[in-house]
Amino acid sequence: MRRFVKHNGLSLAFLGLFLAAIVFQAVAGLAVFNDEQTRHGESPISFFRYVTSSSFGVAVMENWQSEYLQFTLFMLLTVWLVQRGSPESKELGKEGRESDEDQLVGDHAKRDSPRWATVGGLRRRLYENSLLIVMGAIWIATWFAQSVSGWNEYNSEQLDHQEATISWLGYLGSADFWERTLQNWQSEFLAVGSMAILAVYLRQRGSPESKPVGAAHETTGVEG
Amino acid sequence: MPRLAPVATLLALACAACTGCGLGDRERDAAAAAGRFQSALEREDGRAACRELSAETARTLEQQEQAPCDQAILDLDLPRDAPRGVATVYLLSASVDLRGGAVTFLDEEPAGWKVAAAGCLPTEPGHPYDCELEG
Repeated sequence: MRRFVKHNGLSLAFLGLFLAAIVFQAVAGLAVFNDEQTRHGESPISFFRYVTSSSFGVAVMENWQSEYLQFTLFMLLTVWLVQRGSPESKELGKEGRESDEDQLVGDHAKRDSPRWATVGGLRRRLYENSLLIVMGAIWIATWFAQSVSGWNEYNSEQLDHQEATISWLGYLGSADFWERTLQNWQSEFLAVGSMAILAVYLRQRGSPESKPVGAAHETTGVEG
Repeated sequence: MPRLAPVATLLALACAACTGCGLGDRERDAAAAAGRFQSALEREDGRAACRELSAETARTLEQQEQAPCDQAILDLDLPRDAPRGVATVYLLSASVDLRGGAVTFLDEEPAGWKVAAAGCLPTEPGHPYDCELEG
């Protein structure tokens, strides 16, 4: 057990942080929702009712979709684009999907390589792109979930103000959907972009997200 | 633990996508509440009609008309038509179309669906309905 915790400390720590954050988000979100209810002369709702509502759903999904988009785009763009001096980038001159030898696939696979790295055909192609496929699929799914829960939330507001509801397709073209989407996208792109460039000149000793403290600013694609 | 992550994510997505969707029971309950309200108006039963109003709407009606709810509500020019079709429900709000073209809006309260606005007719696109009774 101790060994498991030690070997999986990073994911366990972030799992714990995620669980704590989402619980407190729900508590704060319920307070905000019920404040609005009271302000409109309507009855407050329970915690369970709130966390099973589209109001909570859209608040969670609009953030999840942007996080998975961030990683999807980052993985995709770092295949072909480089940032000189950044540990987030490949070395200059290595743009592209790289050789089979570099990627340890097929005849160049090692004894402990994943099985699908050793085979050819569709299985290897799928495995070669599995991270992008899964992250991209989760992004699409969470963006879809955001659209559905956001549409419910939007139409609830419409009815609350005695206005006509709109279709899901109509909601996809609405300012509400794109405002929710883009407010999250801009922060993700800023975070990744600033990390890529700040890591050229700044260091964090011991972190694989940073170059070694004494590495030159021009050194690209090395970890601390 | 890594194998569970995609499963957990998919389950969460399914839940999130479905949250707040108008499920059958809630639509029927909202339509039934609108039906009880219209039926009470039809037989001139102000007390029964007021029982179907939200507390906020009943309070607003009494303040505006300076009369008890069960009297004031019968003096309004509210349609007596029956509901047409099922209710449209989103989160805690619903709307029910009446046969004559008017719309009734409802809010879900702990005691069930209550009429928040009645005798509502459409105005310009993108603008609120014009309601004879509202909270």
